[in-house]
Amino acid sequence: MSVEVEVNENDLAEMVEQVWESYLDPEGISPLIPTYDENQPSEVHSSVSITGSWTGHIVYASSTSAARRAAAAFLAMEMDEVSEEDLSDVLGELANIVGGNVKAMLPPGALLSLPQVVLAPETTARFPHSERISGVYGVWDGEPVSISMWQSRGDNKEGAE
Amino acid sequence: MRAMVIDDSRAMRMILKRIVSKLDFEALEAGDGREALDLLATLDEVPELALIDWNMPNMNGLEFVTNVRADPRLREMTLVMVTTESEQSQIVRALAAGAHEYVIKPFTEGAMIEKLALLGLVPTGANS
Repeated sequence: MSVEVEVNENDLAEMVEQVWESYLDPEGISPLIPTYDENQPSEVHSSVSITGSWTGHIVYASSTSAARRAAAAFLAMEMDEVSEEDLSDVLGELANIVGGNVKAMLPPGALLSLPQVVLAPETTARFPHSERISGVYGVWDGEPVSISMWQSRGDNKEGAE
Repeated sequence: MRAMVIDDSRAMRMILKRIVSKLDFEALEAGDGREALDLLATLDEVPELALIDWNMPNMNGLEFVTNVRADPRLREMTLVMVTTESEQSQIVRALAAGAHEYVIKPFTEGAMIEKLALLGLVPTGANS
């Protein structure tokens, strides 16, 4: 049985801030600036699924440029050295980190999947019978980045389509 | 000294390798618990430290810790879980299985160094 999740936008924003502070902007000079625009465009996205006490998905989406920049920051390399494999790896880890921290705020009994990465816009993502319930939307050095939570509307309905 | 970094994310392995290298560890890496055990079996000297992710394909971090603790040859290794699994019950499981410390992602370099200093693996104040 899935419960109503109590992770709100402030919680998500705090997790995102920790990710920036730890990996993407340790010097504190280039934070994610909120836009509050849940329809901002993306070119790539990654997700992890949570099942059990709560069922849904955590989605990290951004422009390719922002993903490349994130990979460069993680891997300590120049942006033009970042390969597609690097992009996928870092996008997956970002979804994994946020998803793991969301899971920790849920009632016991939740399981986290391994991340999935799609080098295509978030609008191509298909989460059947799910709705976006929360998100952090912003720009990082002028490029769109978002982290959103999608809750399944009912158990045993996912994958029915 | 040598440190083994075990994570299925290459990016996370890079970050951890950077940190331990700064602390004068020689870094070894593996993409999952099975690969790490296979690598350990080839080594004459056991690394002093392993930094271990939890959620990995093939063999997860908890299974790796359990395997290491069952092997007398590896008993001196200091095992630190580095993971997004941050529920109290998971931390207790890892410590009960034989992990010495637990670091929750995301972590800063300073926080990781402090943990290693608490374990006596780096001098106190290495972070400054």
